[in-house]
Amino acid sequence: MIKRLLMSFLLIPMLLLAACAQGSSGGDGSSSGGGDKVVTLGFTGPLSGPAASYGEKTLRGIEMAIEEINGNGGFEVNGETYTLKIESLDDQYLPNEAAANAQRLVQESQTPIIFSPHSGGIMAMQVFNEQDEFIIAGYSSEPAITEQGNSLTVRIPPRYDGYLEPFTEYSMERFGTKLASIPTVTQYGQDWANALLPHWEAAGGEVVHESSVDFSKDTDFFTILTNALESNPDVLFIGGPSEPTAKLAQQARELGFGGGFIIMDQAKLDEMKLVVGDSYELLEGSIGTMPLIHSEFPGTPQFVEKYREKYNEDPGSEAGYHYVSVYIFVEAMKAAGNVEDAKEIYAHIQDGLDNLPEDKQVYVIEEIDENGGFVMTVRVAAVENGEIIEITAD
Amino acid sequence: MLGAYITLTMMTALGVHYVISIIVSIFVVGVVSVLLERLVFFPLREAPPIQDKVAAIGILLFLEALAQLIWGPHYLQMSTPFNQVIAIGGLTITLQRIIIVITAVTVMILLWLFLKKTYMGASIMAMAQNRDGASLVGINTNKVAMITFFIAGGLAAIGASLTSPINLVFPGMGHLVILKAFVIIILGGMGSVPGAILGGYILGFTEAIGATYISNDYKDIIAFVLLVIILTFKPQGIFAREESK
Repeated sequence: MIKRLLMSFLLIPMLLLAACAQGSSGGDGSSSGGGDKVVTLGFTGPLSGPAASYGEKTLRGIEMAIEEINGNGGFEVNGETYTLKIESLDDQYLPNEAAANAQRLVQESQTPIIFSPHSGGIMAMQVFNEQDEFIIAGYSSEPAITEQGNSLTVRIPPRYDGYLEPFTEYSMERFGTKLASIPTVTQYGQDWANALLPHWEAAGGEVVHESSVDFSKDTDFFTILTNALESNPDVLFIGGPSEPTAKLAQQARELGFGGGFIIMDQAKLDEMKLVVGDSYELLEGSIGTMPLIHSEFPGTPQFVEKYREKYNEDPGSEAGYHYVSVYIFVEAMKAAGNVEDAKEIYAHIQDGLDNLPEDKQVYVIEEIDENGGFVMTVRVAAVENGEIIEITAD
Repeated sequence: MLGAYITLTMMTALGVHYVISIIVSIFVVGVVSVLLERLVFFPLREAPPIQDKVAAIGILLFLEALAQLIWGPHYLQMSTPFNQVIAIGGLTITLQRIIIVITAVTVMILLWLFLKKTYMGASIMAMAQNRDGASLVGINTNKVAMITFFIAGGLAAIGASLTSPINLVFPGMGHLVILKAFVIIILGGMGSVPGAILGGYILGFTEAIGATYISNDYKDIIAFVLLVIILTFKPQGIFAREESK
């Protein structure tokens, strides 16, 4: 009896797996038979688990762009009309899963481009993307992803070290030189801290407390904050997903912290605002990246409006960057005259940037550098008197 | 997790007061829990204990996926009418936290009284010790099992609803506490209410004190090293019943 039960426990997942494999290979559609041809884009990101919300927002940007392009009848390359399709797989934020997903996407759907919104996944895919010939469209401000010399990697957002200077300068001038650092415990958060702290000290500041917070384990931040505030910092360096980061900031205020916040680029001021009572009052003196809805690029208002209509909430930069990236890749494919050869497409990304229609420029990206990073002016925002103002960086 | 979502939905969709939402949530989660007992655990009553645990993990994954399907993967914010900040001497605390502490203590005392002083409580204890034995002395084991699950669901709803204003509501929120809860149970000894209380305090204090006086980065290590030490000397947990099995 027990044996039978055990056997059925083993059999059921196996059957399920088999069914899944069949279902997806049956749904393969890199080129459908009719008049229209389909280009399949790949996506691997967290669609379940703690980072699911983030993964879904990135995916929404891609989906919106694809819907629009297909709604307008697709795009033309070498006299043939193509439409787009996204094949999205869940990797739960795990690098090994991202790599496995990428293999699957390339083999089953022949995706020339795979999007991934986390540095771990990007690095895992960099091991074999040149052999398997697909472009990694990496959404991570981690500079390391474009420093490996990978010839088929695009880094979509600006690298985070561009923020160090304006963040340090502003906070030090407004609040003082004592910094307590409590970023998220992820690799990304630690790398950020390792870049910021030496910069802060070089600028004449002092790091009075150093620890980290694990948003996937800590339910309450009072202990961490009490310890951090013990050393009377003027500025707190915090960061991670917007919502828990906002909670951290809120609890710091509850404990009587009156200084400023340096906010890692992962968290967005406008999303944090929603958590702390729909007002910037608690976040006074914060400095972070410019929220998309306050940005003034040619394509931004149109995108924000469409996004609000569709999802009934404000878009973040994840959605915006992915939206514009799809358009850039489409333009690159047009310029390359090719929809399959990753190398050809990659070589024409600069043309894609140049040909990008103005009304699609949710962000203005000037060029792609030799390492594959998109180059643009870093936009920094601070909260002053309860309002978002732009801080001009050099 | 489910409790928090139901409380939140009551508050946002129907505009019901926080406290009333919690009470509704207790009943809803309690009923869901009873249904699960009927559908999943009751058919498994003859199976070896490990299969109950496998089923429990299955339910956990199922509920998490269900919550993501219904409410989406996003972080949601639960507001509370009790978020005033109170400063007593050098101590800063929010009203919500005081409410959590008071409610936790009250619920613990009520649970303990219920288990020790009522006939129903005694039946639950009897059944936990030996299902067949309990049945032999005339206890309706089905009814008791359902009541036990109802209480468990209700308690989970209270816990989730009270703590969510401090943190956020999202499908994976249960992971934050599930490992700790497991440690506390092992530490205190399976099936012992005072053991669970003491285990909770031990874990809580070592984490907080370890984070303050040693290092925040090592607080988990400190807590778990302590767990290993305690289990080395008391493998059954601190308050394990002397039972032969």
